[in-house]
Amino acid sequence: MGQFLDVRERILELTSIVSAIIIWEIIARIINKNYLLPKFTEVVANFLKLASEGELYRDTITSLNFFAIGMGVAIAVGIPLGIMMGWFKTFDKAVDPIIEMIRPIPPLAWIPFAILWFGLTKYAAGFVIFVGAVFPILVNTYTGFRNTPRVLVESGMVLGCIKNRDLIFRIALPAALPSIATGVRVGMGVGWMCVVAAEMFGVSKYGIGWKIWHWNDLHHMDMVLTYMLVLGLIALVIDRLFRYIVQEWWLKWQTGVVV
Amino acid sequence: MIIQPLKIIAAILITGIILLSGCTAPQEDEPTGLTELRFGYQPSTHQIAYMAADAKGWWLDDLAPYGITSTKENQFATGAPEMLAMLAGEIDVAYVGATPPLSAIDQGLEAKIVAGAQTQGSDLVLATDLSYESPQDLIGLKIATFPTGTLQDTVLRKWLQDNDIDPEENVTILGMGGAEAKTALASGNVDAVFLPHPNPTIIESEGYGKVVVQSGKMWTDHACCVVLVTQKLIDEHPEIVEQIVKTHIKATQYIIDNPDEAAQIFSDDIGVSYNISNQSIQDWDGEWVSDPNIELVTALEYAKVQYDLGYTDKLLTQDDLFDLSFYNKVIAQMGEE
Repeated sequence: MGQFLDVRERILELTSIVSAIIIWEIIARIINKNYLLPKFTEVVANFLKLASEGELYRDTITSLNFFAIGMGVAIAVGIPLGIMMGWFKTFDKAVDPIIEMIRPIPPLAWIPFAILWFGLTKYAAGFVIFVGAVFPILVNTYTGFRNTPRVLVESGMVLGCIKNRDLIFRIALPAALPSIATGVRVGMGVGWMCVVAAEMFGVSKYGIGWKIWHWNDLHHMDMVLTYMLVLGLIALVIDRLFRYIVQEWWLKWQTGVVV
Repeated sequence: MIIQPLKIIAAILITGIILLSGCTAPQEDEPTGLTELRFGYQPSTHQIAYMAADAKGWWLDDLAPYGITSTKENQFATGAPEMLAMLAGEIDVAYVGATPPLSAIDQGLEAKIVAGAQTQGSDLVLATDLSYESPQDLIGLKIATFPTGTLQDTVLRKWLQDNDIDPEENVTILGMGGAEAKTALASGNVDAVFLPHPNPTIIESEGYGKVVVQSGKMWTDHACCVVLVTQKLIDEHPEIVEQIVKTHIKATQYIIDNPDEAAQIFSDDIGVSYNISNQSIQDWDGEWVSDPNIELVTALEYAKVQYDLGYTDKLLTQDDLFDLSFYNKVIAQMGEE
């Protein structure tokens, strides 16, 4: 019965996607203005052409490279800073006003400084992605630590876990892991969105974001939409991969808590 | 509870049909009483004619007899977003470089160039510590300019090719906005920029670059900015388009006759100091014009270059790009008077 339901759900998902595509194609054919709404069939043809010529591969690798730099640094900075702020009250009081002042500044506004500090390099693009990704990671790590149940900390202390380092790494960090995982996931989503901004100021002649701007400048909206969908598809793959890793390894102990 | 897939499909299709009916609702084809005219322009000395007509109140005064009670101006960093706004139906008249309309018209924009605005007027600016004697000195350098398909990108690539320099292999051309290009040159992240005025004057006044080639030396009398009007405005309100051309001619002649005041108008509109805008007008090799015939030949050459580069799907012709009838009619009327 469970297997039957699973199949039905899959059919439902597939039907929903196919219906949306059919409606898209019909609307595009009725409007018949490529720049307003390119046809789905044109987008697929573009995708196949770009994939067969290897251009898509080169663009994807370039964007993933920028993304890896930005996300790597965001995790390396966001998690330790979140831990420090979540565990040490004095540190939190000192750093919080600065973080809260910088946090609302959009990644796009950092572009001039990205050029000045890192030049027209992959690190400048990585910096813009870092700005987008670091705060969700930091805030979720902080929240995870602040929400560590007191009973866990006190139990640890009773059992001989007295030093801050031990309490952080043996008690609070495992308890905060689900929140940190959420932060990294949200950060990845925001960071990937920043790829388009990160590639708009000439750091490379390849990349999914750069191609969106390039074809937009030439008003080839079918190509713009093709790269937008590639951007979305890669985001989906990254998210699914991350969820798999988290569920199968990182938080496997959580299995059964809810589902 | 098991949700029936058929119900879901029906819901999706109903939503689609509703959307469809919204998208395909009968359009109002009858000409409407136009009361507001929407302009697009860029913060460049190339387009002071628009700013002068606006500052003097000529747009409103001259167009009032045709029912225009207000104008709306939209400023764009480069021509590409300006053309996107015109594609979206957000502007009626665009002061824009001659090349961004090419790809837009190729992709379905219904608009025509009805007047010229200016020729030449962009400079290649090299970092102060680099020397320049010939185009060959640029080999291996990074050059920032406006994005793909803009006039600066097109002129620069053609000039490099004319001098046996492969724009893809021998130099690195980086497309970006004017502000980013200046930042990149100031911080040493590019070796040169190719930008329209007043940018070269700003860079020289701040001391991090020197003008080495003016665009008139790259391509003599090349077309630069034009006045582009939507086909809808031409079809529905030809009398308004005719008046736009008349006012543009008047404004162009005014700034030619009064360059000091043109500098002040530009300074007031954009926020650049008077000294910079005045210096820019003295330094540049640009020329304000209103005759579209002056820009015709090079505009068609741009169309060929862009077609060869693969930027446009078809080779655009004079009929695709220009409507000279308004300018010719106005000039004939002025001759009679």
